[in-house]
Amino acid sequence: MSHPAHVVVAPLLVALLTAVTTLLARSFPRLQRGLSVLGGVGYAAAVAALAAAVTGDADGYIVYALSGWDAPFGIVLVADALSAFFLIIAAIVGVAALVFSVGYLDRETAALSYHSLFHFMLVGVTGALLTGDLFNLFVWFEVMLMASYVLVVYYSGPEHTRAALHYTVLNLLGGAVMLLAVGGLYAVTGTLNMADMAHRLAEGAVDPAPVLGLSALLFTVFALKAGIVPFQFWVPDAYRAAPAPVTAVLAGVVKKVGIYAIVRVYFTVLSAGEVALDLPFVAGDSYLAFFGPVMFAMAVGSILLGGVGAVNQPDMDGLLAYSSIGQIGFIVLPLAVAATAPYGGSLMTFAITAALVYSLNHGLAKGLLFLSSGVTRRAVGSTDFADLGGLSERDPAFAGAFFLGVLALIGIPPLSGFFGKFLVFDTGVRAGSTPVLALALVGAVFTVAYFSRAWNRTFWGDPVEYDPQPRLVAVLAVLAVGLVVVGVGFEPVVAGAEAAAEAAVNRSGYVDAVLEVGA
Amino acid sequence: MTTVIARTVTRVVVPFILLTAVSLLFQGHNLPGGGFIAGVLTCTAFALVYIIYGQESLRTLVGGSEPGDGVLTGLPGTYARLFAVGLGVAAGAGVVSTALGYPFLTQTVLYLSDVPAVHALTELPGIGTLEVASAFVFDVGVYLVVVGGLLTIVSVVGRE
Repeated sequence: MSHPAHVVVAPLLVALLTAVTTLLARSFPRLQRGLSVLGGVGYAAAVAALAAAVTGDADGYIVYALSGWDAPFGIVLVADALSAFFLIIAAIVGVAALVFSVGYLDRETAALSYHSLFHFMLVGVTGALLTGDLFNLFVWFEVMLMASYVLVVYYSGPEHTRAALHYTVLNLLGGAVMLLAVGGLYAVTGTLNMADMAHRLAEGAVDPAPVLGLSALLFTVFALKAGIVPFQFWVPDAYRAAPAPVTAVLAGVVKKVGIYAIVRVYFTVLSAGEVALDLPFVAGDSYLAFFGPVMFAMAVGSILLGGVGAVNQPDMDGLLAYSSIGQIGFIVLPLAVAATAPYGGSLMTFAITAALVYSLNHGLAKGLLFLSSGVTRRAVGSTDFADLGGLSERDPAFAGAFFLGVLALIGIPPLSGFFGKFLVFDTGVRAGSTPVLALALVGAVFTVAYFSRAWNRTFWGDPVEYDPQPRLVAVLAVLAVGLVVVGVGFEPVVAGAEAAAEAAVNRSGYVDAVLEVGA
Repeated sequence: MTTVIARTVTRVVVPFILLTAVSLLFQGHNLPGGGFIAGVLTCTAFALVYIIYGQESLRTLVGGSEPGDGVLTGLPGTYARLFAVGLGVAAGAGVVSTALGYPFLTQTVLYLSDVPAVHALTELPGIGTLEVASAFVFDVGVYLVVVGGLLTIVSVVGRE
């Protein structure tokens, strides 16, 4: 440990120190806002430096032993292409939402704790994406969630309190279940370090049957965080209650942490386990063969329920929330294909690439749309479709940004969403699976249907009173340009996603990188 | 409301609680104890004073500013600042090691018997090995966070 690579811990530290300084600067709101935005920009820079370091590293893994205690006994942070990919999503959506919230929220109320909590949420996200320790993953999840509890109840009206109470109780239950599962895995495998766990499973030193059961328990928690059917019920209320920039981060980033955890834990770590199963639809002995059909069923549920739910929502927040449930199905669908493919093969890598590209697209586009809903609330005073109409005449720039976000989620070239959807369909074709293709098609039709409705009710029709918000719309415009840039300059994005997918299925590389540090 | 017994017992007990808290804080880096439990114990002492003697007496004891209209003004404001400062101390204790070229949160121990200037002191009967752990700074940060956080809750909820 002669050269601890501080670049790994840099994003975490920037967010943590920003959270502390914004808390200390509470009496100076102007300074606090400046520090907060500066910290956001610093976070993005730290993430960029980390991504560059990971790309430039010969092995593609940078391991950082916190406190100088090496794996498997100490807690290590592990940065690889997969972590870097999700960190980039977090940085883009996080910074955009942060800048948006400076212009959006009431400044006196926001000065109390908003900025600090926002950065603490980023701390939790960053820690969860970087940690190489299963129990530490639980801790970062809790950090992320505790900040989000307060942010969801930010407006503290009756309906916000009710939504936040449900959100909190559910996630506390989820946290308890996660603790139970992690404790069980520790009891069975004798380690909490994820690389060590993979190593022991691969060696056959562990009884595989209880590990499968406990990991299935753990899966429910990740599914709850990601809002996958049947664990989606908290999503609409929480998303309606939280301020728009918080919802953008919840939908764009926090959900993706659930997806990251699924990819990391089930594809990288627990994929080594094999146990003979005699269950319908389960072909093969690996754990992934078990989770494949489970994920497929969840994707079916998510796409259908999200689509049907979104079509008849009375307000934009509700529509976007149900749309998030449906879109998360589009991310889980290729993961289900990947889980049933041969381990480390081209189909598995390709399917995970599709899921990652779709995650990026959904993070950007849904972030943009939730912020648009915030603009609508600010400019018209409501997000109910009954109160909206004709905004394309009132504010063409706003309408244009919203339109780009919608097109990206529908999947029109040359936007990022086209490639996301294209890769999902291509995954279905390569797997030769008619059900996957049919489901993706149904989901795509639903997406067109509910967004057409949102567009018609909000931007066409009789114009309503509108108070222009040029500064907020500017943030939307930047995100909209980002969607176009990702779509036009798709080569490096897909290369990054491919590297991330390869890292996700490179179990031996991960194990070697983490465990050789101690040797 | 409060009886003579309660007031007298509080007077006697509070110093002992605080002393125990401090001793837990000091031994926390390698024995049962630490910033968290010491902070909780300190809060029980303050809560006892608060319940038995009322908020005003606590304010004269701690020396907070006059209560204002906002949520975090007056005494709660002082507590909330304590909380923020503690967070800064704890985070700073971790960051210092990165500035010195070690991983984040790395801690070390200085044995006073290794320091020539005070070496003679450690050889006195009844003193033994004295150590200064850098983790103590982190513990102090945690202590301040817990005291600040809990007292903010107690005083804000108590005011309503």
